[in-house]
Amino acid sequence: MPATAATVASTRADDGAADIVFENVSVRFGALKAMGPLTLSVRRGEFLAIVGPSGCGKSTLLNLVAGTLQPYTGRVFYKGARVDGANRDIGYITQKNYCLPWRTVEANVRLPLEFRGYRRAEMDDRVAKALRQVSLSGFEKSYPRQLSGGMLQRVMIARTLAYGPATYLMDEPFGSLDAQLRLRMHTELLRLWQETGATFLFVTHDLHEAITLADRVVVMSRRPGTPKLVVDIDLPRPRDVVEIQSDAAFGAYFKQLWHALDVD
Amino acid sequence: MSQAQTTSGDVNAEPAGGQGTRVPHLVRHGTLYLQIVTLTVMIALWEWIADRFDTVFWTSSPSGVLRELVSWAQSGQLASDVALTLTEAGVGFVIGSVAGALLGFLLGWVRRLGDLFEPFVLSFYTLPKVALAPLFVLWFGIGALNKIMFSGLLVFFMVFFTTFQGMRQVDTDLLANARLLGASRLQTFIKIAIPYSAVWVFAGLRIGLPYALIGAIVGEFVAADSGVGYRIKEATSFFNTAAVFAGLVVLMVISLAFLAILKAIERRTLRWQTIGETDATAPGEAHE
Repeated sequence: MPATAATVASTRADDGAADIVFENVSVRFGALKAMGPLTLSVRRGEFLAIVGPSGCGKSTLLNLVAGTLQPYTGRVFYKGARVDGANRDIGYITQKNYCLPWRTVEANVRLPLEFRGYRRAEMDDRVAKALRQVSLSGFEKSYPRQLSGGMLQRVMIARTLAYGPATYLMDEPFGSLDAQLRLRMHTELLRLWQETGATFLFVTHDLHEAITLADRVVVMSRRPGTPKLVVDIDLPRPRDVVEIQSDAAFGAYFKQLWHALDVD
Repeated sequence: MSQAQTTSGDVNAEPAGGQGTRVPHLVRHGTLYLQIVTLTVMIALWEWIADRFDTVFWTSSPSGVLRELVSWAQSGQLASDVALTLTEAGVGFVIGSVAGALLGFLLGWVRRLGDLFEPFVLSFYTLPKVALAPLFVLWFGIGALNKIMFSGLLVFFMVFFTTFQGMRQVDTDLLANARLLGASRLQTFIKIAIPYSAVWVFAGLRIGLPYALIGAIVGEFVAADSGVGYRIKEATSFFNTAAVFAGLVVLMVISLAFLAILKAIERRTLRWQTIGETDATAPGEAHE
């Protein structure tokens, strides 16, 4: 067995550098117990992947951090403060494309900077840099409808990069992309993670994706979802998203997570 | 067969969307020629029937209409009549559109307010507004103001309803996402909701445009002493069919010109819709 598999509550819960802390959190939708109780903390700069069966509350975890959802019991802390109301310190990226069709790529990336009242010159710099980071330079004046799905997803990432949040919440961001493009996006994402030093919370149902990217993978149980298994992925970095798959340890992690997932 | 691989030097960059299909030269112009021929034939047929079956009293004839137009123009009244009717319809259109769009934005955005007022507005909407024309004479006299207010009223309802619908269609996920990007509620309204519903507003303007003219003409029918509508009514009472048709021709030209102006504005404002491939589904003229 390649890894130290922690049990339900991570021992890192009282880690000093914890960026995000879920403390005994549970969520209900009406009478439905959707998630928890759950205690988990995420270190600053960590890449944490969350996997689990559908409906187990993976996305709910992200919404709690974003502040768009309040817990039924327990508390959620972000950088030491309790989350209440929309958390503007995060970047939320999902499968859904939130590009505004009437704005060019450039203007879409500029949107959060306009909201946040940046100066004109700084906006231009940040937009250009973000587009460079996702290899979309040259498409500044294109409209979203002229772009493919993969490019749109990169616009979404660039838009988040532009204002440089300390935490990225990603909810199956590459779910709609084909396998080839996914691998390419994984490479880019790992590079961004390294460059920005930000904390990443990455929800996926794809174990390959989780192992390739993450420092730690949390496997959630069925609803109401609780962490069933937390695995440290001790694979060397920087990682090559293709090479890593033939690593012996990779296969072992996969097996371990697969059994924990307990898919019928 | 080598296709250009990249646009940006990024080898895997997906090619940008289609360039829009080009209509072959002959086909495009062929239709135009055919339309000109059809029009000519129709006018010739009209002239022939009027002459052959002696229907001039009812149908007038193209040559008669032309004579009326020329004498109307020469008397100097054509210019002043058109100017008056245009002013009434134009000012009415602007007032009605602005009021309709503003109220549509507001009631569409503030859901509670919208729910509160919807039944009231709806009952006014179903009322045949032409029936209000005499009342407007009472309120606003028989001058231009009466026509302006009446045409404004008709336009208002058209623009208000489409704008209201459009605002209610705004994707709530998009708004929630904007909040996370740092938008205030006012910013989501200005930067997301208003542009989002612009397509509907334009649909409303397009539907409302002919109503601006209808308002002015009906107003002139009811009580006036000049204007294109007044001339038509006057000509009818003198059984001057050719002059009636001359008035109709002038109205047709005016409304086509209006529509062309609106289309030009729309093309500029909604440029994003037509760029690249053209599969955008505009809400069109449909009411829900």
